[in-house]
Amino acid sequence: MARPPAPGSVIVPDWHESAEGKEYLACILRKNRRRVFGLLERPVLPPSVVIDTASYKIFVSGKSGVGKTALVAKLAGLEVPVVHHETTGIQTTVVFWPAKLQASDRVVMFRFEFWDCGESALKKFDHMLPACKENADAFLFLFSFTDRASFEDLPGQLARVAGEAPSVVKMVIGSKFDQYMHTDVPERDLTAFRQAWELPLLRVKSVPGRRLADGRMLDGRAGLADIAHVLNGLAEHLWYQDQVAAGLLPSPQENAPG
Amino acid sequence: MGDERSGSAVHLLCLAASSGVPLFCRSSRGGNPARPQLPFSVIGSLNGVHMFGQNLEAQLSSARTEDTIVVWKSFHDSITLIVLSPEEGTSELRLERLLQMVFGAMVLLVGLEELTNIRNVERLKKELRASYRLIDSFLGDSELIGDLTQCVDCVIPPEGSLLQEALSGFAEAAGTAFVSLVVSGRVVAATEGWWRLGTPEAVLLPWLVGSLPPQAARDYPVYLPHGSPTVPHRLLTLTLLPSLELCLLCGPRPALRQLDPQLLERWWQPLLGPLRTCLPLGPRALPDGFPLHTDILGLLLLHLELKRCLFTVEPFGDKEPSPEQRRRLLRNFYTLVTTTHFPPEPGLPEKAEDAVHQAQLPRACYLVLRHGEPRRGLRLMVLQLGPRQLLLLLAPQSPTHGLRSLATHTLHALTPLL
Repeated sequence: MARPPAPGSVIVPDWHESAEGKEYLACILRKNRRRVFGLLERPVLPPSVVIDTASYKIFVSGKSGVGKTALVAKLAGLEVPVVHHETTGIQTTVVFWPAKLQASDRVVMFRFEFWDCGESALKKFDHMLPACKENADAFLFLFSFTDRASFEDLPGQLARVAGEAPSVVKMVIGSKFDQYMHTDVPERDLTAFRQAWELPLLRVKSVPGRRLADGRMLDGRAGLADIAHVLNGLAEHLWYQDQVAAGLLPSPQENAPG
Repeated sequence: MGDERSGSAVHLLCLAASSGVPLFCRSSRGGNPARPQLPFSVIGSLNGVHMFGQNLEAQLSSARTEDTIVVWKSFHDSITLIVLSPEEGTSELRLERLLQMVFGAMVLLVGLEELTNIRNVERLKKELRASYRLIDSFLGDSELIGDLTQCVDCVIPPEGSLLQEALSGFAEAAGTAFVSLVVSGRVVAATEGWWRLGTPEAVLLPWLVGSLPPQAARDYPVYLPHGSPTVPHRLLTLTLLPSLELCLLCGPRPALRQLDPQLLERWWQPLLGPLRTCLPLGPRALPDGFPLHTDILGLLLLHLELKRCLFTVEPFGDKEPSPEQRRRLLRNFYTLVTTTHFPPEPGLPEKAEDAVHQAQLPRACYLVLRHGEPRRGLRLMVLQLGPRQLLLLLAPQSPTHGLRSLATHTLHALTPLL
């Protein structure tokens, strides 16, 4: 993977909080709740607005219990399961995210298809890992701040999953960052990791999503504000990688890890 | 068993038969799994008394205390399931069928081999965690009734033939004979191959799909307890519209990515309208405007040969009594008629004496609830005609002398549908 772009250089950060951004976000919200789209549906924009859709497949990898399914649920605005149930097989979740490009001031509708699979199913059934990796545009490597072993497993995962796919976007996400009292991964280890691998690293809190006034439904708008940085980061790296692959941008030399 | 903590929850225990090691403990109250809800000594005694009986060649199947029913069931001499339920409103039949469903769920997600050949107990415990969500759904208050009737919960779509055609075409394009359309855990339409699935997988698969949180697509390995308990198949699900899923059962092909947007668009986008009309069918089961007598508060139609059923407690969307109460009443009534008055399986009489005996079998019965508001005066009616059994919950104002003809009329109207 080429050197990652500087944050905010490809996608306008915080655009979703501007008036224009909020208008676009209305297509994935309904009365402050996140809309759930079936495979036959997509966000509906006013007829005068025509924007391109950029679809990407993203494989979420990580040890059992780090919070892969929970992260995807948070990104999709769905209820995060309270009790941990190991994922039985492969699950995919679609998230639509409108974002504005810096260069052309154009709005693009990103369609992220997250693929998530339980660790024991991956080990037990041979067809699952290849199915997840095939044609993936990005790999998200998850570790939990409260589980040291999951952090130390990252190099192994990077080799196993991304070893044969050098041009795929790779990002590392640390979950349960809110539990800093119990953190097993101090800042210096993160810095060392960043220097060694040169991979973008994001942090996500694992607090329960805010609810609407009725106390039952998730507040979709607030939820989006919580994870916008992840979706923007993802959009940025994927769009940048596409530009490089298409030869539209000069590609710096590859940086080999370690 | 006057333990305050257990309250009125249903408890389910699973133990390895030979060693008595507990494999898991679920309860209908869910909640904090870290807090044990039944003391280990109780679990040990329940298992012990069962094993004691087995050693003396006696099969202990159920017991009643002042406030609890306990049912035991052993599977393949390897797994013992024990369920405890507060007395009110439950019966041995319900609990026995529950245990069959639970074991089916365990086989579905873990495979029979792991359950009959227990080599590593800790590993089996870990694997069984995958089945917890499905098992918990059997212990709770479900809108479905397949766990009790052992018939597949179905709904009748308004444009069934259109959907059926698309389903067959899609099945061929996808390369599998087993495809169905499921809304909220009920089957809307299915290929012939899917309808031929045996028990319990025919009930378990839609139930499983209905119990999962929303995902766009899934590729889950499943072992079919009747058809293929040791060799896994793949259950692929695709969410066409929220709560409406396309389910495919297949071998190694097709890969999930082959069921791509183009394929879906080709077969299902043109049917977006008819598909949308299926969405509210979950609780209603029948299409809007289907002629049902307004006194009917709840309906359960079973086709005992096809093993399918229609179940609704909201035919008109009115309020009193609540859907939960109506469900409970119909479930208990079903249990009552199945254990007391009506034989569970319709059969052709073998000899002349049997034919006479058949003629003496009850064809219909009804009862009127006497106690408690808002239940007072509610009528429960069951009518059997050939392979079909119709159970109705009717409003207090429905005249008892007219119940039989109302039921017969309704059964005739429903007969072409199921």
